Amino acid sequence: MSRRRQGGKPTAGRHAGSKAGAGPDGGLTDAGFDAGFDGGLFDGGLDGGTATIYNPYPPGILPADINSEIARVQREVTFIFEQALAMWLALPTPTLTGQPPTFQNTGVSMIQTLGKLMNFDQNMGVLRNQACASCHMPYAGFSGPIPSVNLTMVAFPGSFHFRAGKRTAQRYTYSPWYPVFQLNVVGQDFFGGNFWDGRATGYLIQNPDAEQAQHPPVDTQEMGLPDTACIAFRLSQAAYRPLFEQVWGAGSLSIAFPPDTEAICSTPGGAAVFGADTQPVKLSASERTRANTVYDRWGQSLDAFEKGHEVSPFSSKFDNFLKAKYTLTPDEMAGYNLFRGKANCNSCHLDGRGTTSIALGTTDTSKRALTNPLFTCFGFNNEGLPINPRDAFYYQTTPDFFGFTPNPFGFGYRDLGLGTFLRSGFGSAPSPDNTWTSLAPMYDGFFQVSTVRNVAMAPSQCPTTEAPGPYFQKGFFHNGYIKSLKQLVHFYNTRDLFSFPVTSGHCPAGKTEKVDCWPQPEDKNVLDTTTGNLQLTDLEENQLVIFMQTLTDGFSTPYPNINTFTGTCLTGGSASTQGNEFLIPTPPLPPCASAICGVAPLPITPVP
Amino acid sequence: MNRLLPRLAIAITVASLLSSNPGTAQILPPLKKAARVVIIKGPEVELSFEHLTIIRWTSNNPGGTDVHFGVVHYGTDPKDLSQTAKSPRRLNHGQRTTMFRVRMDDLKPQTTYYYRVDSEESNGKSDGVKSPVKKFTTPGPGERIVLIPKPNH
Repeated sequence: MSRRRQGGKPTAGRHAGSKAGAGPDGGLTDAGFDAGFDGGLFDGGLDGGTATIYNPYPPGILPADINSEIARVQREVTFIFEQALAMWLALPTPTLTGQPPTFQNTGVSMIQTLGKLMNFDQNMGVLRNQACASCHMPYAGFSGPIPSVNLTMVAFPGSFHFRAGKRTAQRYTYSPWYPVFQLNVVGQDFFGGNFWDGRATGYLIQNPDAEQAQHPPVDTQEMGLPDTACIAFRLSQAAYRPLFEQVWGAGSLSIAFPPDTEAICSTPGGAAVFGADTQPVKLSASERTRANTVYDRWGQSLDAFEKGHEVSPFSSKFDNFLKAKYTLTPDEMAGYNLFRGKANCNSCHLDGRGTTSIALGTTDTSKRALTNPLFTCFGFNNEGLPINPRDAFYYQTTPDFFGFTPNPFGFGYRDLGLGTFLRSGFGSAPSPDNTWTSLAPMYDGFFQVSTVRNVAMAPSQCPTTEAPGPYFQKGFFHNGYIKSLKQLVHFYNTRDLFSFPVTSGHCPAGKTEKVDCWPQPEDKNVLDTTTGNLQLTDLEENQLVIFMQTLTDGFSTPYPNINTFTGTCLTGGSASTQGNEFLIPTPPLPPCASAICGVAPLPITPVP
Repeated sequence: MNRLLPRLAIAITVASLLSSNPGTAQILPPLKKAARVVIIKGPEVELSFEHLTIIRWTSNNPGGTDVHFGVVHYGTDPKDLSQTAKSPRRLNHGQRTTMFRVRMDDLKPQTTYYYRVDSEESNGKSDGVKSPVKKFTTPGPGERIVLIPKPNH
């Protein structure tokens, strides 16, 4: 695979890769990667001088292989980007015809290919070293591609190393099917949107998946561009600019950017030099409008890619079962019956089937799915996950070279998910509807009901998420506390039965965390009790895991790029205790910061 | 040929269901409410530890909004059940009964509490059930009371 940089033209934001810098554990790293900032020194952007990497972490928080793993993913991303370039070049000459004008026969493949190019374009990271795909690779169901990150720090490092977010990278698959975030007034229940906290509402472009794609490029701890106009600027430099302008209109990227745009767009967002200015690229009103349009086109193109068969193909064993082209094995069928019966999973993870009684001993006579079997209700719940003290976010309490402090509250931070978003609170995004705000206390600790589809997807080389493997390590739920599907099911099954008033790392002597000890929830208010003591046997837990594995796409047709993982599979151990060797004791927790728990309307009861 | 037409119509209908507005197509209508919502099992103590107690009971299908709240009114005086605990759960459209479980935190150890239960829709509309007043005693530090597991169905 080539390690050349992708498209675009040389920029002043180039890294100084030949210099050595502090490694993740305070040592020295080797000179770096070809495509971006590498743990060395930064010599671009507005600051112009040298910038050391950001490493506020105690020893052991950053995984030891972080640099080599980032380099590995960069190579894989480059490979698929070049694949997308070839797809573009192979597209037939389009014919724009009809009223309204349509690219007859080729329109869908044009926009999906454009979205794929964007998704794997590492020039979209502020330091030209990170694509969307860097945290969302196909072989993981378009979720986190680095096993050691999934095992430890949970959130993936951003373009400026080693800023990091706070939550696991959600899977792309089927995210385009989530509706616009809204309040069901009759039911007093929120549903829809994208992201764990629903903050990509889609309120403006009426497409939450497209809006989701707009956030990471300008997230300070992710791709880090300081201005949405930088997306238009970088696209104007992209090798695939002709395809963009073919799809979205000739001249759509012809924007009169000021001369300092390159330097601005090479400086990470949140830098003190920007102050509170979220639009440091100074454009005329009309040019800003054009840049905003490009920003929407960016989201819409990525949405088209995610909606396509390359990401969301409905090709799992279960899809084939619905079409009578696959017979579930006895264990798979037993797991399915548990899923919609004793275990009650389909209260939230709807399978789209009919509502025939499914009491034990009866048979579902529904002919097929009535709606898409998406295995989500698009809702939100508080499942009672404990604080995961390995989450990198807790340690980013000091300013980086650019004067940005990701989390000034340290362990005083509490992730209240949807509740914080409804308050337009710290670490989320502004809520676009003030009529939602008063409802926030009823939604503290709520996170999106993910689709179960592809939860078990793993690279073909290590085709399971479960020890002893060979397995691919994933992180489950919003904070990655759960490390295997066996643990996930066991958590739902026994959260209340094995509840102890402790934090992670402090289970009583003789108890094993995640086996017969579950630490206290981060937020006990409005805890979902649909689950928590399901009284499933060990065999039944395993059958549920087996059923969830039937929801992995790629059974009837190979899943594209499932085999692009070039890392190392893990082996050994037990799925029940997978990752337990990396548990660390939660430090004594300071009170929840007032910037989070003190924002009106206050939580129902104080969050400890 | 004519036989194919109904199949084609069905296929088109299904295809349109699957490809039409993906969001609204997925939202299920609310469940139909039972003629009279009644408690068919419980309420009873599911488990009681020093830091938490869970009361559970089973109703026939309460219908209405998908999200319901189990409600426990409780206190140490049977004539004063002024404290309230609520826990949400989602109704399962495929099941005929619903088990409510309400979690109570921060109870005093070795203390007898009296309680009755109710349930309500997420908009606060009561399901119209009311149990008799029952009682339980919380365990001492380190003790754990767990109802002997029984199948849910």
